[in-house]
Amino acid sequence: MSRNVLNVPEVCLVSYRTNMEKEFQHHLSRMPENSAIKQQKLPAHRLHFSNQAIFTIFFATGAFCFCIGIILLLSAWKVQEIEINYTNICEDCAKMRENALNFDKQCTCSIPFNLQKTMKGDVYMYYKLYGFYQNLYRYVLSRSHNQLMGKDVRDVKDCAPFKVTSNKIPIAPCGAIANSMFNDTIILSYIRSTSEHIQVPMLKTGLTWWTDKYVKFQNPSFRNLSDHFVGTEKPPYWQEPIYELDTSDPGNNGFLNDDFIVWMRTAAFPTFKKLYRRLYRVKYFSDGLPAGNYTFDISYNFPVTKFQGEKAVILSTLTWNGGSSIFLGLAYTVTGVFLWMSSFALMAIQGKMRKKKLSHRR
Amino acid sequence: MILISSSEPQSMCYVATANLDGETNLKIRQASLEVAGIIKEGQLVNLDGKIECEEPDRQFNNFVGTLYLRGKSPISVGPDQMLLRGTQLKNTQWIIGVVIYTGFETKLMQNSVKSPLKRSQVEKVTNMQILILLLLLFVISAVSCVGATIWNKMYLENIWYMGISGITPHNHVFDILVFIILYHNLVPISLLLTLETVKFIQAQFINWDEDMHYEQNDLYAMARTSNLNEELGQVKYLFSDKTGTLTCNTMAFKKCTIAGIIYGNHSDNTDDGNENLSRASFCEFNDPKLLENFEDGHPSSEYIKEFLTLLCVCHTVIPERCGNDILYQASSPDEAALVKGAKKLGFVFTTRTPYSVTIEVMTETHTFEILNILEFSSNRKRMSIIVRTPAGHLRLYCKGADTVIYERLSKDSLFVEDTLKHLEIFATEGLRTLCIAYTDLTETEYQDWLQEYKKASAVSQNRIQRLEECYEIIEKEFLLLGATAIEDRLQANVPETISTLLKANIKIWVLTGDKQETAVNIAFSCKLISSTTPRIYLNADSFEAAQQTINHNCGDLGNLLGKENDLALIIDGETLKYALRFEIQKKFLDLALSCRAVLCCRLSPLQKAEIVDLVKKHEEAITLAVGDGANDVGMIRMAHVGVGISGNEGMQATNNSDYSIAQFRYLEKLLLVHGTWNYFRVTKCILYSFYKNVVLYIIGLWFSFVNGFSGQIIFEHWCISLYNVIFTSLPPLTLGIFEKCCSQKSLLEYPQLYTVFQTGEMFNTKVFWIQCINALIHSFILFWFPTKMLEHDMILRHGYTTDYLFLGNFIYSYVVVTVCLKAGLETTSWNRFSHVAIWGSIISWILFFSVYSFFWPIFSVAPEMTGQINMVLSCPHFWMGFLLVPTTCLIQNFFWKLIKNTYKRGLLEEIQELESRKDSILEHSEIFEKRMTAASLAVSFSTQPCEIFFRDDSVDLSAPHGYAFSQTEGAVVTQEELVRAYDTAKMENSRISKRSSDFSEIF
Repeated sequence: MSRNVLNVPEVCLVSYRTNMEKEFQHHLSRMPENSAIKQQKLPAHRLHFSNQAIFTIFFATGAFCFCIGIILLLSAWKVQEIEINYTNICEDCAKMRENALNFDKQCTCSIPFNLQKTMKGDVYMYYKLYGFYQNLYRYVLSRSHNQLMGKDVRDVKDCAPFKVTSNKIPIAPCGAIANSMFNDTIILSYIRSTSEHIQVPMLKTGLTWWTDKYVKFQNPSFRNLSDHFVGTEKPPYWQEPIYELDTSDPGNNGFLNDDFIVWMRTAAFPTFKKLYRRLYRVKYFSDGLPAGNYTFDISYNFPVTKFQGEKAVILSTLTWNGGSSIFLGLAYTVTGVFLWMSSFALMAIQGKMRKKKLSHRR
Repeated sequence: MILISSSEPQSMCYVATANLDGETNLKIRQASLEVAGIIKEGQLVNLDGKIECEEPDRQFNNFVGTLYLRGKSPISVGPDQMLLRGTQLKNTQWIIGVVIYTGFETKLMQNSVKSPLKRSQVEKVTNMQILILLLLLFVISAVSCVGATIWNKMYLENIWYMGISGITPHNHVFDILVFIILYHNLVPISLLLTLETVKFIQAQFINWDEDMHYEQNDLYAMARTSNLNEELGQVKYLFSDKTGTLTCNTMAFKKCTIAGIIYGNHSDNTDDGNENLSRASFCEFNDPKLLENFEDGHPSSEYIKEFLTLLCVCHTVIPERCGNDILYQASSPDEAALVKGAKKLGFVFTTRTPYSVTIEVMTETHTFEILNILEFSSNRKRMSIIVRTPAGHLRLYCKGADTVIYERLSKDSLFVEDTLKHLEIFATEGLRTLCIAYTDLTETEYQDWLQEYKKASAVSQNRIQRLEECYEIIEKEFLLLGATAIEDRLQANVPETISTLLKANIKIWVLTGDKQETAVNIAFSCKLISSTTPRIYLNADSFEAAQQTINHNCGDLGNLLGKENDLALIIDGETLKYALRFEIQKKFLDLALSCRAVLCCRLSPLQKAEIVDLVKKHEEAITLAVGDGANDVGMIRMAHVGVGISGNEGMQATNNSDYSIAQFRYLEKLLLVHGTWNYFRVTKCILYSFYKNVVLYIIGLWFSFVNGFSGQIIFEHWCISLYNVIFTSLPPLTLGIFEKCCSQKSLLEYPQLYTVFQTGEMFNTKVFWIQCINALIHSFILFWFPTKMLEHDMILRHGYTTDYLFLGNFIYSYVVVTVCLKAGLETTSWNRFSHVAIWGSIISWILFFSVYSFFWPIFSVAPEMTGQINMVLSCPHFWMGFLLVPTTCLIQNFFWKLIKNTYKRGLLEEIQELESRKDSILEHSEIFEKRMTAASLAVSFSTQPCEIFFRDDSVDLSAPHGYAFSQTEGAVVTQEELVRAYDTAKMENSRISKRSSDFSEIF
């Protein structure tokens, strides 16, 4: 706001208003239309609630929250979930993996467990990592969207520190995320009897968001995939190249591999789950997982003990609202209870004030 | 400019100095006789010489110079030859002069004060908070940096998935920079833009306001700056000029008492609405009873005749015939008003010759021979004239202050008691009173006195004193006729405005260059002080005396010092000079602040500014100065807010003001309505802007705790950038532009509401940090609720898992909804724009989110956002949280608001409730009545009488006198000389017709 600091010196000692000044004044007083906006007379209304309305609102909201909370809790309780942490169970493998020199040695580990109740419906298998920071700034950045789109497999621009190998050959898929992909193999077997071990049929696909599979991730070509990766190197920690992730299904190979895509969606927290397999509901498993004895056969490749992390495998059913998380249900219930309590408190205060007023009047 | 010659006899000219000192009377300037004759072009060309004069100074009444004309002896030049910048030439056709000082050398400019950079209190507080917030930003960044260091030490070595280069951490400076960039939006940069926009529109509202449109001049109020808008809502001290601001600077003969009977228009202020009319006929005296009594031979008719004759004869007015009309020019506006009044009553003063005046009474012409004029001076407080009546009697007519006249009344004088009572009535109304008396002289008495008089006039030393002593001899044994009451016309609605402003707990100080009596009279007439108000006069001629008086009064006040008392303090410029000395200025201020009204008279423009500065420095309150003339420029610039009245006195005050209005009465709307609204709006807007930024950006900090302080942002970059630009840009604007704490009607009806804002409780450091903590809590909820919701990861159908941005979009959506609804909670007055802003913002985010999720790979932005919208919106958790999270955040605010509404119910809440329940009006007034009597209200009108016992004689507890009279004193031309100089009987008519109306104000 520049203010007129200097006065315009009056030309003459006698200060009478000249015509110019009059015109100036006239000009200043623009004729505003007498609109409601300009006169600040827009119709407005004030939110005001009577005490009764406030109590009603509080009570109703409280009741609503409470009900929703109970519904959510019930639905969460209906979910069946089994989590088996195999870091300690497979201690030997874990120790072996701490030493990078053992990268080519196989290590398997089998974990028997008993399912007491049939898991009805769709059953999902997750792996869960503890203490793995997929949300580190430089980790999140370290990927090449162009490469993953199949546009240019040699585009490794943003992939530091896994852009190129020591021979300056670009890595595909490049970047820290891809490089650190979860590579344990988990196989679930159903033990119908001591002699009959049935491998539970699991689906490897349909684990990703539609947009990931069809928009964000594309192979350079469906045919002769390996040709298109000529001139690139597999990530240093990988055992096989990208085009051999699933040789049996070209729709699940290369960048389109579901496990790969799932891993590439970086989790928000250092402890996270990723979808690993879906139950293929055939034969014995058409209703879900029947109760009984099972084994997880895990080929242990992914080192976690080095960073004090842990690994777990999870079997879970889902409801309309997802898994067995009770937080939302609890939050709703607590909020509902709190609302009721505060409405009682308000009522008490109002009553007290009214009494005070009355005694004042007397 | 030195006067050389003028159109008037004896090279006189009249000037109005209202612009400089606020005095109402015209001053006479006369050129030195040596140069007076130079009026022709040729003579002017030949004028050759030099002028020696002093350095420019700021004293209006001092000037020493010498004019050396070639071939002539030096001529001394004094203030009487000086025409100062800012004065206005009146009743004079033309003058010729030599310019001496220009520009910054002029006395007016010497009196100017530097214009300080004006920033509003709110702005200062805000800037302070921004600084602290900036500091906090650094602290948070540093904490994050430390966190990062610790985390890196603990984990980074073993994180094989970050590769080898991941193990080598960056240096700390880089880290800190990363975090500063991460959190930088904590300091709301958008606030500045928002605030500028808001203030600009607020200023436009002031400019557009039809209620402040002065239709007569087609002048709208004008906000010349927009950064003081909110300051208008917090004004505590109002410094007002008198002349031209409170008054119109016109006098009107309003009432009189003759022979114990009051005449005059009793029903005051009936003409407020059509001021134009009353101005045109500005002699308002219209009481037909007076003429009836006179014509019908009422017992008092003889007195009436004498009274009116006196009004026509005893003065120094010069008549000018203009066609059939007679115009009067006078240096004293009081006299002009009286003569005009008499003319309307049929006593027309027609002609003045050097030794006589002629009056026309009911078509009869009477000529009075003027023998002597016993001059007016402020010591004598009276003026007399000795005439020989047409009948040949010698008579002395006198008009003057009641005190001096009553001392000199003869024992036979009648109506003494009645008149005194009437005088009191007049005085309480704030009318300027003059007592009218006469005495008959015998021939011998007069001759004896004449001898004395001649002797006295011949004395060279102390002549004035001798003359006054001589006047004293003959001015005695008066017979009282009555008294006149002249109204120093106030501007429209001034008393109402002042009483409203007083109720709003605004202290009003009148600072004027005019005389004390005039100021006191105006204070009465504008109801600033009442007749029961004790008045403390501080008139001291030395520092010691001033100190003593101030100390005495302070002592008498005792405990009441510093509180508001029903007192009036009246101080003149001379005393103020001492009172402003460092040693006692604090004491003086204490005393002044204990009084409800303070009148400062005879101030120079600089002193006005000094007083404002004193209050500004010692009191933590907002000051507002209002004035219209060049002499008010200083205080207008000095005060926190300067308001210029764009009146008749030129543009000086307006040009230096922050707001200009056409009439004093518009202050009411400007302060109570615009000020309150603006303050309310600006503070809300600021608080809200801080709130919304803290809410969003502190989430970055929460996220840092789970991502190892790596600096990862949980939201998409463009979403963050557009937060202040689109998704939450409208609510602060609507809060800042359309929010109303209560309606205009309530604000004007209950001026007490103003006190709610005056105290600054709406916005201070405490409020600010409460809001910030509130934002912190909100951001905590907004981050941790979704976090806990998503921690389980199994929330999507088909068991899909999510990523960090999925959480980010949850949080972001909740933030936008919460923040917008919070604006709704803050909004007390919903109009359509509020709805658009609040609902529109939420919808705009959803729309943007939808579109933005499909950008990749068509545009090479935001690959991470791809597909988010489908997943987020199809997730039941999202909708569950959508209901829960904002509710949890806001319900506590709502709850506290309710508690506060019940427990700490203020006036504002009360009135807001009144407004929202328009149906049961009866109940409201009842509530309000109760409210009014409650002690919690700032009662600005303390009705209980002042019970202080004053020992100091400077305190005047008596009823007001009301005497006031403006007349030139001690000028080069004495009143007698002036009167003798004119002979209107001979004066050429042509002169009058040529008169330019631009120059003269016609009486």
